[in-house]
Amino acid sequence: MKEVPVKIEHNGAWASIRLGLEEDHLVIPPPINRKVLFRDVVNLEERKNLLIITVKGEPEVVYRILTVEKVIMVMRRLILMLCNGYRLNAYFLSPAVRGGVLVTDAQWEKGAIVVVRTGIWFVSGTKQVCIPLLDVADIELTKKEVQGRQTDVVMLEHVDAGEVVTSFVLCPISTLQILFNFLTDATKSMEMKGDELDEYDQQVAMLVYSGMDSSAIINMLSVNNKRLNEVYDKLIGLGIAEVVEIRREVKLTTKGIKYIADATKQ
Amino acid sequence: MIRCLMGRILIVDDTLFMRTLLKNILFSGGHTIVGEAADGEEGIAKYRELKPDLVTMDVVMPKMNGIESLKGIRQFDPAAKVVMCTAVGQEQMVKLAIKTGARGYIVKPFQAPKVLEEVKNVLAS
Repeated sequence: MKEVPVKIEHNGAWASIRLGLEEDHLVIPPPINRKVLFRDVVNLEERKNLLIITVKGEPEVVYRILTVEKVIMVMRRLILMLCNGYRLNAYFLSPAVRGGVLVTDAQWEKGAIVVVRTGIWFVSGTKQVCIPLLDVADIELTKKEVQGRQTDVVMLEHVDAGEVVTSFVLCPISTLQILFNFLTDATKSMEMKGDELDEYDQQVAMLVYSGMDSSAIINMLSVNNKRLNEVYDKLIGLGIAEVVEIRREVKLTTKGIKYIADATKQ
Repeated sequence: MIRCLMGRILIVDDTLFMRTLLKNILFSGGHTIVGEAADGEEGIAKYRELKPDLVTMDVVMPKMNGIESLKGIRQFDPAAKVVMCTAVGQEQMVKLAIKTGARGYIVKPFQAPKVLEEVKNVLAS
């Protein structure tokens, strides 16, 4: 059995342990003292050097493991290949487009797609990428040219560090349809009817997407602040935008006016 | 040699909205917008007249599309730096644009930082 040094959260504190890694399970030594079968893992999340493993049971148990990237890579791979999630062999291209710019050196990778409770993992021999379901902005069953042929693919758009990233998944059409339905269902809360925004609201949303601030939008659409705020309220109300900054407008007091007047005399 | 990464840019797009958006993004990145054109023909004419450092070119436009316009510009100036603006799923157009000599590609809808990065890369190339 391979052993790796990690820190594991136990009773609100971090305990340093040597975690045992087997082909199909983890051995967590005291103070936790538990064997975790990978097939019992129902969710896997990652935040920087932290791996969060949810194991089925009554109730479910969540392990938070802190370790170096190299160990995380090995653990992720072992868990994802056997965990209790929706898994299929596929080719994926991720990222294909980032922030609207084509990633020119992107290549199709052969591997697996593993859908767990909170995210979709792309796993290949060299890459493990997670798209949290909450960050998925769009899913489409579409066609893409692959080796000169128009091929059915699933297109996924997600938000990563404020940028919209587009990825593609390629596998037999019947599997694609299942994956598409599964993902559509998993991200149902993000869907909109389509008629909530009029053309003007859509233009504002597009400008926000492109990174324009309020003053730029006011100039571009020749709109006043009140009207723009109405659109913002609508976008916020629909849950498709959030306030990140409140800007203030000021006017000078008499003291301020006097200060400027004096300053210009000097 | 120090390469200047701020460019004189010509925007070719049939929609006023996209032209204005690109203008704002590029201006915020310190570039100068030397002109705008609403179709491919006008794009070629404006290129000849203004000789910009870079052109952002929409693909689907009336009168003359972006690919034809790119060809016309490259006939006049084989070293022209043209960045194509395409929609997701227009791989055929992208391939054709590469063959025709496009230097960069941005996909609509786009985000300002990435557009500026691509423009900077093409200007520096």
